[in-house]
Amino acid sequence: MKLMINEGSAGEKRVALDDLILTKDLPTTAGSKMLDGYVSLFEAEVATRLQKAGYTIGGKANVGEFAIDLLGETSYFGACAKEDGTLVYAANELLEKGEVCAALQMDVNGAPRRAAALAGQYYVKPTYGTVSRFGTIPVACSGETVGVAATTAETCRQVLAAVAGYDEKDGTSLPQSMYTQPKDIKKVAILADITAAADADTQAKVAAFQAFLESKGIACEKVEVECMSAAKTAWNALMAAELCNNVSRYDGVKYGYRTPNYTNIDELYTGSRTEAFGDVLKTMILFGSDVLSTNNYEKMYDKSLRIRRVVAEAFADLFTKYDCVLLPACAKQRYTVEDVKADQYLACQEALFTAPASITGLPAVIAGGVQLVGPAFSESSMLDVAQCYGKEGK
Amino acid sequence: MDKEVLRRLEKENQLQLTDTQKETVLAFLNQQHSQLEKLSAIDTESVERMVHVMPINTVVREDVAMQKFSREDLQKGAPETMDGYWQVPRVVE
Repeated sequence: MKLMINEGSAGEKRVALDDLILTKDLPTTAGSKMLDGYVSLFEAEVATRLQKAGYTIGGKANVGEFAIDLLGETSYFGACAKEDGTLVYAANELLEKGEVCAALQMDVNGAPRRAAALAGQYYVKPTYGTVSRFGTIPVACSGETVGVAATTAETCRQVLAAVAGYDEKDGTSLPQSMYTQPKDIKKVAILADITAAADADTQAKVAAFQAFLESKGIACEKVEVECMSAAKTAWNALMAAELCNNVSRYDGVKYGYRTPNYTNIDELYTGSRTEAFGDVLKTMILFGSDVLSTNNYEKMYDKSLRIRRVVAEAFADLFTKYDCVLLPACAKQRYTVEDVKADQYLACQEALFTAPASITGLPAVIAGGVQLVGPAFSESSMLDVAQCYGKEGK
Repeated sequence: MDKEVLRRLEKENQLQLTDTQKETVLAFLNQQHSQLEKLSAIDTESVERMVHVMPINTVVREDVAMQKFSREDLQKGAPETMDGYWQVPRVVE
């Protein structure tokens, strides 16, 4: 199993970067044959900030092709799995082995949240626009964020502080003047209908976290919000549409893979993309193109953008009564190579748990194998809870 | 969704699927279509589209180059070049 696609520097404060975050000294592949060996001329803002804060880039962690899959299984360099077939995410396995102290991960379709929950680690998906995406390979720009995984909530907080903040090079970066002060978490809503879609072991994790919260005097109430499950379908459509546009740049001309078998320009384009892209990526490109087609634009793309607002307003309504929501990050506690062979599009189903935060850009924190989603800029409060869980809840 | 539409999508996206892939992709697309159909149960007639998740619109900056790269640097990752140009097969007959 290939955890690091390229090794970086040694050091006490080594951080792994998902292989969609551009570095000048190491290649960046996005887990795709298309970019095998590609070296960027500039580095991501998060990589620059990380090093300025005294961290070293420990290497590039293996990811699924363009990070849209379940747990990295579509990587051109192979899935990462244990001997018994259990899928692991490369960055989390590097953390588990103590090879790095933290990982910067691209949260496109929830894989880092899923992986941290399965690994019993911590992860913070920051509020959209608070961490620069300059120099990250674009996939689904309207919702993707750079997040931080670590074995403690405190490390997540420290590394996030090192990379967060306004960046004029990113057009979606939020000026610090827009940030609001987070409230302490005193009341939590448990998304009962989404939790019920998970298996018994996962529901037990949610129940255990609820018990921990209540032991700290934080009130928990079960709520049902019907439209939350629509986030999955809408995010799958929006993500595919944006992916389709973003990967249209890979044509075998200026950089990336070029097929050796062509006699004209069409064969060059088609051969390069067909040979370099994996099956799941091809499917999602075609789905995205379908969503954006004249016949489907209104009922699929436009509808999904409206559903995004419906979900955002449902969250806003919840946050008038609760300080954050609690839900699982995945449907079960173990995924295997066999699972993704049986259904290569499993990530689209698992988006039920991760899409609500992806489609709205809201921050999420993983701790105790479960997911907290809060209002914009509330990651610090959620990390307080996660940190407390780390000290007292286990 | 039928094979004819899929053929058009393949062509537009410069991709070529095998027959087996076509079956799998069609099944997936039909599944997504039926899930998207179900969204019609949510009335969004008076709901505005949400393009940006945060209250920020298209940002513009001064039209000044922030990064400068030489032609040699830009062509380092090129599959094929000739005399400082990217090389492709003849495009205009």
